[in-house]
Amino acid sequence: MEMIEHSSHTDAARRAGGESWLAAFGIMALNSMFGQKDASGVLRMAIEDLLVDDLAVVSSFGADSAVLLHMVCAINPDLPVLFLQTGRHFDQTLAYVKTLSDRLGLTNVQTLVPDSDQLARFDPDADLWKSDPDSCCHIRKTEPLDKALSGFGGWVTGRKRHQTQERGVLSHFELTDDKRIKVNPLAYWDEEDVAAYKKVHNLPEHPLFGSGFTSIGCAPCTSAVTTGEGARAGRWRGLNKTECGIHFDVNKRISPAMAKAELTLFRDGRFVADPWGKWVEGPAPSEARYAHVPLAQFVANRTAYLAGPHPLGLLVGAGDNVEEVASDLSRFSSIAIEFRTFTDGRGYSSARLLVERMGYKGELRAVGDVLVDQIPLMRRCGINAFVVGHAATRKALEQGVQSAIDVFMQPVGVDEIPLGTRCFLRRANHSNS
Amino acid sequence: MYRYDQFDARFVAGRVAQFSDQIERRISGELSEDQFRPLRLMNGLYLQLHAYMLRVAVPYGTMNSAQLRKLAHIARTYDRGYGHFTTRQNIQFNWPRLDDVPQILSELAEVEMHAIQTSGNCIRNVTTDQFAGAAADEIIDPRPVAEIIRQWSSLHPEFTFLPRKFKIAITGAAHDRAAIKFHDIGLMARRNEAGEIGWTVHVGGGMGRTPMVARKLNSFVPHADLLAYLESILRVYNRYGRRDNKYKARIKILVREEGLASFREQVESEFSEVRGGVLSLPEDELNRIKTYFAPPEFKDSDARFDLAALKVSDPEFARFVVHNTHQHARPGYTSVTISLKPVGGVPGDATDTQMDIVADLVERFSFDELRVSHEQNLVLPHVAIGDVRSVYEALCAAGLGEANVGQITDMIVCPGLDYCALANARSIPVAQEISKRFGSAKRQEEIGDLKIKISGCINACGHHHGGHIGILGVEKRGTELYQITVGGDASENAAIGNILGRGITGEEVPDAIERLVEVYLGARSGADESFLNTLSRLGETPFREALYGND
Repeated sequence: MEMIEHSSHTDAARRAGGESWLAAFGIMALNSMFGQKDASGVLRMAIEDLLVDDLAVVSSFGADSAVLLHMVCAINPDLPVLFLQTGRHFDQTLAYVKTLSDRLGLTNVQTLVPDSDQLARFDPDADLWKSDPDSCCHIRKTEPLDKALSGFGGWVTGRKRHQTQERGVLSHFELTDDKRIKVNPLAYWDEEDVAAYKKVHNLPEHPLFGSGFTSIGCAPCTSAVTTGEGARAGRWRGLNKTECGIHFDVNKRISPAMAKAELTLFRDGRFVADPWGKWVEGPAPSEARYAHVPLAQFVANRTAYLAGPHPLGLLVGAGDNVEEVASDLSRFSSIAIEFRTFTDGRGYSSARLLVERMGYKGELRAVGDVLVDQIPLMRRCGINAFVVGHAATRKALEQGVQSAIDVFMQPVGVDEIPLGTRCFLRRANHSNS
Repeated sequence: MYRYDQFDARFVAGRVAQFSDQIERRISGELSEDQFRPLRLMNGLYLQLHAYMLRVAVPYGTMNSAQLRKLAHIARTYDRGYGHFTTRQNIQFNWPRLDDVPQILSELAEVEMHAIQTSGNCIRNVTTDQFAGAAADEIIDPRPVAEIIRQWSSLHPEFTFLPRKFKIAITGAAHDRAAIKFHDIGLMARRNEAGEIGWTVHVGGGMGRTPMVARKLNSFVPHADLLAYLESILRVYNRYGRRDNKYKARIKILVREEGLASFREQVESEFSEVRGGVLSLPEDELNRIKTYFAPPEFKDSDARFDLAALKVSDPEFARFVVHNTHQHARPGYTSVTISLKPVGGVPGDATDTQMDIVADLVERFSFDELRVSHEQNLVLPHVAIGDVRSVYEALCAAGLGEANVGQITDMIVCPGLDYCALANARSIPVAQEISKRFGSAKRQEEIGDLKIKISGCINACGHHHGGHIGILGVEKRGTELYQITVGGDASENAAIGNILGRGITGEEVPDAIERLVEVYLGARSGADESFLNTLSRLGETPFREALYGND
């Protein structure tokens, strides 16, 4: 299996591998691949495809941790599970680490401890939490975790949108400032989902859970919640603090949710998230997915690409002959026509041949130098989606660009030929005038 | 002639609105010049040496009086009182302001005119025989088909960004007056064995730095299939024409590099797919379009010119009749060419006043029809023979009575370095000097028909390659020089002229032409042996020696 091959890689090589996947997919593509509640799917993708042998789970062994760890075990019980032993945990939590590991069969729980020099210097009396909880968290959680994560391309967290307002924009996959992928399989789960999962799988509860501890961190900064309070209300109670810091990006905010990134694909009258990533050399044909394979590349490996299990696109370059893939069109979920410069009109012929002659009916997108003045021409030739970077063109599309010319002088396209596109068959129209 | 229906009117109005918006966005800075250039070119707007130039389409060279009056109005209001008729049967205005252009286009639209695709890498204005629908030697009036091609090619979404510009010419007569073999596609009407009329298709002709005579691609394409056949050629060209070098991007290079047989194979393969589809032209529909071009209500007459008598009684007019009229298909009528080549004048230019006067003549004497010829003259296609004297007098009064059509002073001349940003040398002053040198009627009569064509650079807008004598402006170390070619022919016997030798200065050109003419006059077997025939009989040597001596 491929994992063996990957395991011999150095850290750097593994990181590079992860980045090439990223480049191939794009975080947005990843985020549109799974149903919101499909936590296992997300996890499996991360463990088996995206960050093979390059991924760790970070768990607090708190109130909800059993769910994520149970899912991990079902996929790979050897996955590293990082536990931050801050030195200030409840005894019940430490006991629960053992209970849960044994029960689930986790084989690779790694305990991370704070740097003793740092503790001696900044928190010799173990009361820093009272005067400066942020620094306390930093020394006992953030720094040890950062150090451990340097060996991984990404990590799995149990965070959920419902937990805090800031987490309300979480997506399944995030790209952090240090170019790691943060995987949040449970992002869209709510309390009921968690409770139901625990029940179905008969998972042991954290000993304090029954006593009103719905979110459990270090003992000094965790309290029980009462009815009506949020699950994390007992954390840093009374302080304007909701996160320990390990989930902060350098800008002190949650990693930007990719939904906020600029959308460049215009389709069906609006800009939408683009699940398709840029094609990169490398992945075997059977692994290719959500990328537009250059036509020549496809033709050279036709059998392998046809057999691949994943959604595939085709990139038609300006000089490509679409006839070469005439019998393969059903394989493609999207075809991209490249306009290297807007003055190169070969793509118009390619588009018409695909749509009118070969009967292609799927997404046909223009990529490259796509400008507003050419969009009406592209549409007439059958192009139905546009990847647009040009600011004025984006603006025009958002405002619903309409060509000033709404009658055509020649029949183009597969729709019913509009009356009047040929002067010699304009009689009906003419008789009205 | 063709009249817009609501559909056409809406189309052109939409185009005016679209281009006006593009101009606005250029002025506001939203469009860069790089982004604006192809858009404005597609609408006939060039940036010349001194100003913008707007080229207005005269589809297949046909206009009515209202249109010509509008052109006069535009020349007067937005320009410097004149316009320049071109070898593509269009008219150019040399001094419009960018912010006036939307208004100019709106006014043109009022008379069913536009500037669509008079430039840019798209299908240009379709040109034809200036005597279409009038000439006695015509098999078919090509204008209905030209109109159909015009509409099919107007803002064609697939063919708006071709490798390079694309020019189509069509003639319905066996004698080619439209230089079709110097076009990307040249169509010539032909009757097949079954008596049906169809089109012989030539491809890959052109002037420019690599002049080529078009090759015959298909000897008979029926009317019904013509658009499908054209679309096939254009698609092959759009896909496979070179885009790496603008000087090798015309279809002539593709045909040369692929070989005619291979190119034909590709076109036929494409044609086999599109033939019989939505582009098929039903016969009765063609007939319906033809009604737009129905002949006017001619009155039968047996009027004829009595040339022998006229030569005695009215020699000036007789000379006009000999050179400036062309045999009409209907007895009692003739086609009158209005020369825009007054001796010492600027070839192809007409003032606003002259345009207004011609418009009156068009209305009174030619069933409201006017033509522009590719030789940069105007034509009243249907004049009753009895009216020609009146027309002649009116023309003389307007400074348009020059009786030199087809003669040595009836030159095709590009605007040259006086206007054009591409030119290497001036054309107009050279033409003016030649015109003055050979201006006398007697001298021109003695020489007979001889076509001189002048281009100010290798792009050959002045068709010098097709001139019996061609003059090409070049620039060498900052000096404007002129190369002389002989043997070019833009007729159905198309040929490209050969360069005789090194370039000479502009001052030397009239003498050089004089020496070539002297060789011809001295060597021709009789007054009926043309310059080309004499050249072909003698070879170039005596002409070369006349220019350069024996060195």
